[in-house]
Amino acid sequence: MDDAQTDHLKAYGLTYRAIQAGLKAEWLLNYRGGSFLIPDLDALRRDAALNGIRTEPVDSAMTAVRGEIEASNMDAVPLEKASKVAVYAPPNAAPWDDAVTMALQYAGISFTKIWDSEVMNGSLKDFDWLHLHHEDFTGQYSKFFLIYSGMSWLAEMVQRNTDMARRLGFGTVPDLKKAVARGIRAYVENGGFLFAMCTATETIDLALAAEKVDIAATFADGTPIDPDADAKLDWSKSFAFTGAHIEPNPLIASFSDIDGHQVNGGARRQPLGAFTLFNFSAKIDPVPTMLVQNHRQVIPDFYGLTTSFTRNRLKPGVTILAEEEAAPWVKYVHGDLGKGTWTFFGGHDPEDAQHQIGDPPTDLSLHPHSPGYRLILNNVLFPAAKKRELKT
Amino acid sequence: MRRNTSWAAAVAALVLLGLADPGRAARGQALGPGFELERAGRYADAASVYFTTVRSDPTNIPALLGLERALFILNRMPELLPLVQNARGRLPDSPALRSLELRVYAALNQLDSLETIARRWAASAPESEAPYREWGQALADRRQWDEARRAFLIGRRTLGGDGTLALELAQLEQRAGNWEAAAAEWGRAVTRSPDVGPNAASQLADAPVALHDRVARVLTLPAPATSARARRLGAEVLLTWGQPAAAWVAMESTLGARGGDSEAPDALRRFADLANVLTTPEGHRVRGLALTRWAELEGVPWQEASRARAEAVRELLDGGDKAGARRVLEGLTTDSAAPAEAHAVAEAALLQVLIADGQLDVAAERLSAGRTTLTADDRAALRLALSKALVARGELDRAEAALGSDSSVTDVAQRGWISLYRGNLKAAMEGFRLAGPYATDRAAATERTAMMAMLQRIQRESSPELGAALLTLARGDSVVAIAALRRAATRLPEQGGQVEVLLLAGQVAAQKGGEQEPTATALFDEIVRAGGEGAAPAAAELEWARLLVRRGENAAAIPHLEHLILTYPNSAFVPEARRVLERAKGAIPKS
Repeated sequence: MDDAQTDHLKAYGLTYRAIQAGLKAEWLLNYRGGSFLIPDLDALRRDAALNGIRTEPVDSAMTAVRGEIEASNMDAVPLEKASKVAVYAPPNAAPWDDAVTMALQYAGISFTKIWDSEVMNGSLKDFDWLHLHHEDFTGQYSKFFLIYSGMSWLAEMVQRNTDMARRLGFGTVPDLKKAVARGIRAYVENGGFLFAMCTATETIDLALAAEKVDIAATFADGTPIDPDADAKLDWSKSFAFTGAHIEPNPLIASFSDIDGHQVNGGARRQPLGAFTLFNFSAKIDPVPTMLVQNHRQVIPDFYGLTTSFTRNRLKPGVTILAEEEAAPWVKYVHGDLGKGTWTFFGGHDPEDAQHQIGDPPTDLSLHPHSPGYRLILNNVLFPAAKKRELKT
Repeated sequence: MRRNTSWAAAVAALVLLGLADPGRAARGQALGPGFELERAGRYADAASVYFTTVRSDPTNIPALLGLERALFILNRMPELLPLVQNARGRLPDSPALRSLELRVYAALNQLDSLETIARRWAASAPESEAPYREWGQALADRRQWDEARRAFLIGRRTLGGDGTLALELAQLEQRAGNWEAAAAEWGRAVTRSPDVGPNAASQLADAPVALHDRVARVLTLPAPATSARARRLGAEVLLTWGQPAAAWVAMESTLGARGGDSEAPDALRRFADLANVLTTPEGHRVRGLALTRWAELEGVPWQEASRARAEAVRELLDGGDKAGARRVLEGLTTDSAAPAEAHAVAEAALLQVLIADGQLDVAAERLSAGRTTLTADDRAALRLALSKALVARGELDRAEAALGSDSSVTDVAQRGWISLYRGNLKAAMEGFRLAGPYATDRAAATERTAMMAMLQRIQRESSPELGAALLTLARGDSVVAIAALRRAATRLPEQGGQVEVLLLAGQVAAQKGGEQEPTATALFDEIVRAGGEGAAPAAAELEWARLLVRRGENAAAIPHLEHLILTYPNSAFVPEARRVLERAKGAIPKS
C-alpha cells in the first residue's frame, strides 16, 4: 500500500474481515509499502468500493510480484485467523478516548471492552489480542488528582476506581491496579498479544516492578511513597524497562524517567521531533517487519502522558521498532514474554500531536492515510500471521 | 498552587535583596545548586544544600522554604520543625516565618499545636487577617476542608465584617466542591472589594452545569439579600454560561430608575463587552440593551454615547428586536449633536428596520430622496434588500425598479432572479453567468450556481410554470411551492430537467420536515428509480439517506448510501456519502 492507496486504514479492516470470513489472505511485507493479497470475490470488491479502498487485480501479474518478493527484502506472510480483540477501558469510555479504538472503529474491526473485573476473573483467556491505552496502573489517576482537583470527570474516575477496588476486595486502587497488571502479564506469558500506548506502557511496568513497594502518592492510597522505592523495585517482573527513577512529586503528572519527553515535567519537557521506522529483514524477522509496514519511514512525533522511552531504561533484548535519531529516546518497542509478545508505542494520538484533555476527538475519515495509525493497525493484524512464519 | 507561588516569591526576593546586599547575594548563590537539584528531582541532595545554609544562617527564609518543599516530598517534615521554631524565636515579627511554622504543624498533622500557634500570632497582631488566613490555608492545602473553614470563620468572627476572609472562604468552598457556598463567599468578597470581580467571575464560570441555576440564585437574590456588586457578578457569570436574558435581568436590577451608582458605567460597559462574544440572537439583543442603557447614563461623553447607540441598533436588529432598534434610532437620527458617521449608520439601520418591518413604500421614498447621509455602499446594499423584499411580495416590476440604473454584479444577479421568476430561463441564465461566482456572499453564489446547474438541464428558453413555482418558493410558501414545482416538472422531459426540478422539490420538502417528509421521501424514491444521467439520482439518494439519519433511522439510511456509492462510483457525492455512511455506522465521531 503505497501512495496510490485511497484509504490505508480501512484496508486493514477489509483484510481482517476477509480472514474473519474464513478466506485466505497474504501480507506482502515491504511490497509497495506493505500490501495485502486477498481473493477477488464480489463481496470483497463491494466492501472495498463502499469503504473507498483501492484494490488492484493481480491475476496475470502475480507471478512477477512473487518473483520481485523473492528477489528483494520482502516476504509474503499468510494470514489465516482473525484475532479476537479486547480493549482494556472503563465501561463508560467513548471509543473516541483512545487512538486504538478509534482506529478499530474506523477500519470496521470489532472489539470487546473489558476492565478490571474481567481481568481479575480470568476472561482474558478468551481473547487473542489486548490493547491498553492511557490507564495509570500505578493507581494514581494519571497524577491528575491534585492538578485537576474539583473537576467532575476526575471525581467520577476516582469514584469508579474506588468502587471497583472495594468490589474486588482490594484496600486501595493502587493495590487493585497492581493485581490487574500481574493478570495482564500472565496473559502474555500464556501466549497473548499485548499492545499498549501512552501511559499504559510506562505504568504497567512500574506497577509490575513495584509489586511489594509503595510507589503511589498519599492521595491515592493514604500513605506516602516509600522513600527507598527506587532501590526496592524488582525489574525482573516488568516487560520492557529497568532501573527507572520514580517521580515522587504528586503535583507533577509524570511517573518516572522512563518517558523521554516529560510532557508535564516543566523544564524537563522535550520538544517533539520525528521518529524513523527500522528496516528489518522481512524473511528473517517477519514479526518486527510486520509491525513497521508503512508508506512512510519518518513520522512526526506526538505527545502523550508517556511520549517515548528513554534508551538507557530499556531492558537488553528489547527490539526497537522506531526511534528518533540521535535522541536519547525511542518511540516504538517490541519483545517476547513466555509464549506471547508485547508491543509498546509512546504517545496518545498520532494525528493530534498536542492532545489536551477536552479536545475534540480525531475524525479519522480526515486522516485515511495516517502513517501513525497504520502502525497501530499493523499490531491488530500481525497475530493473524501463520504461526510457523513467526521466527522471532 | 500555593507552594509554587511561595517559591516564585522566594526566588524574586533573593534577586531583589541581592541587589541591595552583596552578602545576601552570596548566600543566594549558595542556594542555587539546591534549586537545580530540586529541578532535577534530587530532593535529598537539595535538602542537604538547604540544611547547610540554615546551619550558618538560621533565619534564611529561602533556604527554609526550600527545606519545606524538599522534606515534604521526602516525608521528613519533622526535621524542619526545630529549625523553623529557632528561626521564629530569632525573628518573632516575621510573617513569613509565622506562616511557615503553621504549614509545618499542618504537615505534621499536629492540629492542636497549629491552632495554638495561630491564636498566639493573632493575639500579637489583633487587627490582622494574616494569622487566620495562613491557619486556614495550611489546613486547606492538606484538604482538611472543615478544619480550614472553621479557622477562617473564627477569623471572621474575631475581626468582624461580613466580607472578612471571604476570598479565602470562596476558594476553599470551591476546592471542596461546594459551589453555592463558594458563590455566596465570592459575593461577599466582591462586595468588600470590587477588584476581586474578574477573578470571581472566572472562577465561578467553571461551576458544573447542573449547579448553574443554584449558583446564579445565590448571587442574584433581590436587594438587600445581595449587594449590587454581587448581582453584577451574577450577571457576568450568567453571561459566561450563555444565559444572556437572565444576565440582563440581574444587571438591570442594579441600575435603578436613574441609572445606578458610580460604578454603573464601568459595570455596564464591561457587561456589553462580555456579551460581545455571544453569537445568539438573545446575546445580541442583550448587548444592544446594555449599550443603550450605557449611552443614557450621565457622564458618558456624547460622541461615545452616539457611537454606542448606533452599535446598539445593530445588535438589537441582529437580536430580532426591531421595536427596540427603532426606538434607539428615532432618538439618534434626530440628535443634532451626533456626528455625521453616527447619522449615516443610524440612517442605514433605520432603513434596514423599515424594510424588515415591511414598510417598503416609506423605505423606497427615503432611499430615493436626494438629501441623504448614506454611503454609496450602504445605498446599494439597501436597494438590493428592498428589491428582495419586493420579490417576497411578488412585486417583480417594482423589485426591478428598486435596483435603479446600477449595474453592479449583485444587481445583475438579482435581475437574473427576477427574470427567472418571470419564467424567462434564458435571461436568468445570462444574468447568473454575467454575475459570476463571486457576487454577494458565498451562500448566494452557491445558490445561483445550483440554480444554473438545474437550468442547464432544461432545454427551454422559458417556463412560466417553473418561474411561478420558484417565485412561490422565494416568497416563503414552501408547501405550495413543492406542489407547484412538481406540476412544473411534469411539463418537462424526464431527461430534460424533470428529475432536477423534482429533486429541488424534494430538497425543499426534506428541509421543511414534519408533514412534508413523506413527500420528500416519495420524490427521492421517484428520482432514484428513474436513474439516468446527471447528478440528480445520486443527489436524491444522498438527501434521502440524510433525511433518514436525521430521523435516527441509521439502519435504513445505510443501504441507500451503499447503493449510491456502488451505483455511482464516480459521482461527486460519493465522498460525502462515505462520511455520512461512516457516521451512520458509528465509525467516526459526530462532528
